[in-house]
Amino acid sequence: MNLTRLCTYSTRSCLLSTRYLSTSSEYKVKGTAEFFDKQKVLNRPMSPHLTIYKPQLTSILSISHRVSGVGWGVLIYGGTLLTLMPGGFSHYVQLAEQVAPGAGIMIALKATLLLPLTYHTLNGFRHLAWDTGKGFKIAEVYKSGWSTVAVSVLISLLIAIAL
Amino acid sequence: MLSVIARSGCIRPIARQLAPSMSQVSHMSGSTVTHWKAERYVSILTVGAMMTAAVHPTLAVDHALAILVPLHTHWGLEQVFTDYIHIKPLIPIVGILLKVLTGFTMIALLYFNQHDIGITQAVKDVWNIKRVNPEELG
Repeated sequence: MNLTRLCTYSTRSCLLSTRYLSTSSEYKVKGTAEFFDKQKVLNRPMSPHLTIYKPQLTSILSISHRVSGVGWGVLIYGGTLLTLMPGGFSHYVQLAEQVAPGAGIMIALKATLLLPLTYHTLNGFRHLAWDTGKGFKIAEVYKSGWSTVAVSVLISLLIAIAL
Repeated sequence: MLSVIARSGCIRPIARQLAPSMSQVSHMSGSTVTHWKAERYVSILTVGAMMTAAVHPTLAVDHALAILVPLHTHWGLEQVFTDYIHIKPLIPIVGILLKVLTGFTMIALLYFNQHDIGITQAVKDVWNIKRVNPEELG
């Protein structure tokens, strides 16, 4: 059984392992491109099958990190466009105050906006810990995962209410 | 058979595949290592700048935010595009568009710091938006 056959069983890890097997960077790039082309021709279904695969804390937190990052990215890039509108930024803040909802809804809005930011930041530190090689045991991954969720929710609510 | 799989590296803890650890970095080429490290330093600096802005806002911190936040966002979005965009002719176009957009955002934010109220004050103002009673407006 050669390496290509093995890759039919574990696409991602073999993709990574082909990098380790070779030393020249040129070979690495060529090998990766060939690998992707081959997979495309084979027209395999996506793995994991998202609609039937059981959601796990690990995968949900992983995609949440992405979604929260992209969400805030769009908000920041979009918000920057607002600063360029004629009349100065403060003018638009004053306009917003005339259409702003009541205090209760404002707190809910703030907490909703804050949660992805605090989560992304705290989960970012979780990633940095992994980058140093710490916290890879499954029990540790779940413990840090749940802690990140709990602390993010807590901080978001606290800031939204207190500030 | 099992030994073949093990040697080819197919059996690896899943977390190590998702986030390259320091030991894996040693397998990357020179520029990849620099980029990988730069991404992490910028992430930490971004959090640091945001914390500093919260307790001690200055023009310098606002300028740092104007560079760090779009840079961190840029690298994040770049990775997302790399992972999900597989239509070959689109890849370079999206890459260039993102670079232009990020550069534009940085310049616009630096300009906003210099000529308007600046990032920190803007965030504070938006945060403090409260419904104004129509009668109070006069």
